[in-house]
Amino acid sequence: MEGAIAPMMASTDSNLPLITSFNLRKYFPIRGGLFSSRIGDVRAVDGVSLDVRESETVGLVGESGCGKTTVGRLLLRLIEPTSGHTYYHPSPDVLARLESLYDTLKSSTGADGNGAAATPEAAAALKELDEIADQYSLYRLKHSKMKELRGKLQIVFQDPFSSLSPRMLVRDIIGEPLAIHHAGSRSERAMRVAELVQQVGLNPEHLWRFPHEFSGGQRQRIGIARALALRPEFIVLDEPTSALDVSVQAQILNILKKLQAEQRLSYLFISHHLSVVRAMSHKVAVMYLGQIVERAATEDLFSRPLHPYTQALLSAIPIPDPSLKRERIVLKGDVPSPAAPPAGCRFHTRCPAVMPVCSHAEPPLIEVRKAHWVACHLYPPSGGVPVPNPAGPLGSVGENGVTNVGALPAA
Amino acid sequence: MAALSTSMPVAPAETPLPRAPATSEPSEPTPSSATSPVVLDVRDLKTYFFTYDGVVLALDGVSFKVRRGETLGLVGETGCGKSVTAFSVVRLIPDPPGRIISGKVLFRGIDLLWGLSSEARIKTDPKTGRARIRRSFRRIKTGLERMSAVRGRGISMIFQEPTQAMNPVFSVADQISEALLLHQGIPIVDDLLGATPDAPEVLPALEALVEESRRGNTDALREASRRVGEAAHLRTFGTQAYYLAREAEPDSEDLMRRLNKARHRLHLSGLERVYLRHRRRRMEVEDAFHDVYLSEMREGRIDRHNRRILRARRGRLRLSGFYYGIWGIRGRVQRPLKDETFWRTVNRLEEVSIANPVQVARGYPHELSGGMLQRVMITMALAVDPVILIADEPTTALDVTIQAQILELMRGLKTRIGTAILLITHDLAVIAEVADRVCVMYAGQIVETARARDLYAHPLHPYTQGLLASIPNLERPDKRLSSIPGSVPDLIHPPKGCRFHPRCSYAMPICTEVRPPTTVEGSEHTVACHLYKGPTAVE
Repeated sequence: MEGAIAPMMASTDSNLPLITSFNLRKYFPIRGGLFSSRIGDVRAVDGVSLDVRESETVGLVGESGCGKTTVGRLLLRLIEPTSGHTYYHPSPDVLARLESLYDTLKSSTGADGNGAAATPEAAAALKELDEIADQYSLYRLKHSKMKELRGKLQIVFQDPFSSLSPRMLVRDIIGEPLAIHHAGSRSERAMRVAELVQQVGLNPEHLWRFPHEFSGGQRQRIGIARALALRPEFIVLDEPTSALDVSVQAQILNILKKLQAEQRLSYLFISHHLSVVRAMSHKVAVMYLGQIVERAATEDLFSRPLHPYTQALLSAIPIPDPSLKRERIVLKGDVPSPAAPPAGCRFHTRCPAVMPVCSHAEPPLIEVRKAHWVACHLYPPSGGVPVPNPAGPLGSVGENGVTNVGALPAA
Repeated sequence: MAALSTSMPVAPAETPLPRAPATSEPSEPTPSSATSPVVLDVRDLKTYFFTYDGVVLALDGVSFKVRRGETLGLVGETGCGKSVTAFSVVRLIPDPPGRIISGKVLFRGIDLLWGLSSEARIKTDPKTGRARIRRSFRRIKTGLERMSAVRGRGISMIFQEPTQAMNPVFSVADQISEALLLHQGIPIVDDLLGATPDAPEVLPALEALVEESRRGNTDALREASRRVGEAAHLRTFGTQAYYLAREAEPDSEDLMRRLNKARHRLHLSGLERVYLRHRRRRMEVEDAFHDVYLSEMREGRIDRHNRRILRARRGRLRLSGFYYGIWGIRGRVQRPLKDETFWRTVNRLEEVSIANPVQVARGYPHELSGGMLQRVMITMALAVDPVILIADEPTTALDVTIQAQILELMRGLKTRIGTAILLITHDLAVIAEVADRVCVMYAGQIVETARARDLYAHPLHPYTQGLLASIPNLERPDKRLSSIPGSVPDLIHPPKGCRFHPRCSYAMPICTEVRPPTTVEGSEHTVACHLYKGPTAVE
């Protein structure tokens, strides 16, 4: 951990982000036609900025196909982005410089750091951004440096049935990261594996078994133990409980919380299950078709959701209590294809509060309340105080979090 | 024979509901009050799977009732036997390895499992202790044939994975048409034969429709097209005219030309007419067969006499209709029937609020999204107005917003059609949204049954309590999630006594020895746990 990363590792101030990314984009090419040329792009992630602080959990929610998993993989550099940068442990001055540069870009041209610059100062900003990226960005690190860093950035996969090799013993699965990174002698590694197994609530006798001998919950524990092996600082949890039963899901969530408290871990918790995200996260970002539409502290987001999509998503969660009947927003139709996203606001085709402006202008992500960001034309950037459009079908946002946006009566 | 040729009779004498001894009057009336008749009564159902590792006791004495117009939720963890229950009820258990061993499935008083004991004999090898099954495949075949009288019209099913339950090589319309023809073939043929495309009131109605399409008012257009259908004595002609008018350019002259073309297609040629009558006779025979099967199951003996007569009739019809099987002729004579079922499919798809039913009906399963396919599945299951709909995890593969759409749809259909629904899911929240009563399953047994409100307010069984406590609550996120230690037991060697006792925090010495009886603990609330000492439930 020398060289370029070393100065960035110095900061331990918890107010600084552990990992921060700017304008991440990932377009997957669609090939076809003559000679398999590129005939289009699937815009899986389209301009996502995200930061995660130390011992903090950021929840990332959205429907399937909205790009949640791709964001998680980009943050770990498991795939290379089309554009955008991620910084791991940026020092305060670098971070401040980055933010001011991105602000300059936004205000001067409306460009977001990826397109061609129109004005001279924007061009200068772009150039400087490029220099900073060369020095610090995760995506421009050399292979050897990246390998060192991989120990600090880990992932727990969604499907515990396909993420463990069926030919390896549990002992080898958990010990493999240690072996790859040459962490300690053979006996030290064995001790570490035994310790890990205890941490995730398995017995030492389980070490000598193969994955197929375990239930889903136990396999997910093995996956967590493997991710913890190199004492990471940041773990991407990619739907860690969606393949599990509720009673087992609770066990896994409790383990994750315990580990976070003990080891000051930071999580990016990716899930489509909002109740789970609420139970786990400090902050939540809501994604729709490759973009973040709303970002806020968990309490704030769940009690006063601003974006119509978030409101619909919240009202769609079934509540395990039949005595609670509430107004429900049922969205029409399906998620559009990310290969041809709608122009303007991407949600306008399904939005219950759609306005004429929505179909041609893309709303920017703006801070309408303290630490509450939303990308929606209902909340104009100049206003400051969020005033829902009285003309639209969007009614007042209730204090109790239940809104009456174009609500359909529950039958 | 005359009696045989009528279509499926109305339900036989429906068994009156045995009231539980300790029931007090329900505090508030639910849509399915305890007085509505029981349409499905499952008693002590046992389904085992005979594998190389041993006998998996997948269902071990499951009993529940579904009343008319009611939604019964069946909830439990993976591998607790929810889906096996559903498949056992319609006898879709893959055999081998699975066998229904004993029990009764009474569908409106008809025992669907009648004759089961004679289909196979199970012997345990004294040396190895292994179970061996001798199956009589002839009897199994007759048993499954009998089920065809109940499947579809009686009990219909929605499967878990909509993408895998549909056939990828047939269009949506083809697949729904198949169900329609199988169960409503006679009315469809009658409608076709009774259509009057040349009636004097058809042309004025068509002209009115063209006039409306110029104005562009959707509701009026729909009304006008309905009148077209009435004039032609064929409802689907109205649907067809409606979509023709909607697709047409405004102010276009050729709408009338197209409508007339469609009208001319309703003229049946002589051969088509003969074919339709022949087809109708064949359907009558199939219906008569279904009646025989039902009466066999009701009376508990094989009706050899009527079977023989019908088989002979079926053979004669096959012989006399060989001509329609010739490639080239078949396509021509079936065209009117295909058109008719296509437009009926479109009608059905409209009912499940699909925005562009014509395109969806023409499409193939891979072209549709999961939510759309699930709607198609629901359409297919409900196309024949079943008495009972079994929905096996209908929303598990879907996103929350789509799940909300589907649940909303199912709730609407329940109130409109009055179908009883057996909803199977692992998601307690989904059950809470839709179900009137809930059965909680654990390791092949039902541990608690109650009205949904009671169950969520006062869960009695420790397993139910644990399940409810382990759901992350949106209202109180800070609460530490409680979880049930351990995992679902191996059903080859299930724990002795109460199957939950290894994971139960209230386990007592008796729990490890004696299987707890199902006791009544309040109105419509039964539980199988040694902690409760109410009167024993009457199964």
